[in-house]
Amino acid sequence: MLVAYAAGELDLETAAELESHLAGCSACRLLAAEQAAVWKNLEAWEAPPIAPDFDRRLYRRIREDVHFSWWERILRPFRPMPLRQALPLTVSACLLLMAGFVIERPGKTGPVAPHRETVRVDQVERTLDDLELLGQVGMNQTESVHSHAM
Amino acid sequence: MGVAAAALDYDAELMLRVKEGDGASFGLLLDKHRAPVVHFLYRLVQEQPVAEELAQEVFLRVYRSRSSYEPTAKFTTWLFRIATHLALNWLRDGKYERGQQRLDDSTQDAPARQISDRRPSVEQQMVYEVKLLEVRRAVASLPGKQRAAVLMHKYEEMEYSQIAKVLGCSESAVKSLLFRAYESLRARLAHME
Repeated sequence: MLVAYAAGELDLETAAELESHLAGCSACRLLAAEQAAVWKNLEAWEAPPIAPDFDRRLYRRIREDVHFSWWERILRPFRPMPLRQALPLTVSACLLLMAGFVIERPGKTGPVAPHRETVRVDQVERTLDDLELLGQVGMNQTESVHSHAM
Repeated sequence: MGVAAAALDYDAELMLRVKEGDGASFGLLLDKHRAPVVHFLYRLVQEQPVAEELAQEVFLRVYRSRSSYEPTAKFTTWLFRIATHLALNWLRDGKYERGQQRLDDSTQDAPARQISDRRPSVEQQMVYEVKLLEVRRAVASLPGKQRAAVLMHKYEEMEYSQIAKVLGCSESAVKSLLFRAYESLRARLAHME
């Protein structure tokens, strides 16, 4: 009731009753004075003037809004960048994904026979001989380089 | 508020004309409610550019909804419901904290104090600015709904029943919100002359 009293919302009769109570109650009197002070302080808070181009900006937004089709309105929240920029990026990303997919899985080429590793003894011996020969050639070359240098 | 009562609401009539394609009626609604909506939003978010941006969104939504508009409630209830919803969302999204860093600059959005008969002295201006900063801080310290309730009660002079409809709660809940809000404000502002 004290809030309504400070706001001047009480009818005359109720306000008079409250005032007679306030006359004999110091606690309520203090509360009423504090509420009146709050009311007065809030009154001092003026809002700044509105920008002169407020209406012009609003009507421009309304015009733009009218030109949007229903599906553009649905898509708008999901479209943080203009379509002109987003479209090439999306297409590129899709192409990259598809390329990656094709490289990873080049397609079915029929059943592949399981690969079995077989070791042939004569082939191993020949390889070891080749390696030994290469080693000798390497040593000869190093010796010739040293003799040339001396 | 029923349809009969809404019929007395001139704003609702204007909105019905907007629904029928009368752009001039939208202009009349804008003229009438531009300042209350922007000022309400300014006191709620405490940043003038944000308040104007949100107010533009409010009027844009009003215009967008014209075809489906039905005068089931007072026009201002609907209008402030949209405004409060947008502002509380903005506050909830944490954008408010950034703005609070600038609150220390008390003169940022403060209007030049107009005194009709004489100009204020430098001392009076300083006292006013300190007081204003204190008031803004006190209001900013209130939770969103309490803040909205106080602003509608104090500056828009709305009745409890209308505030309840705007906030989507009961009238007793509004009284409770206001009681707690004014209690906090008394603790912070009552000492100021």
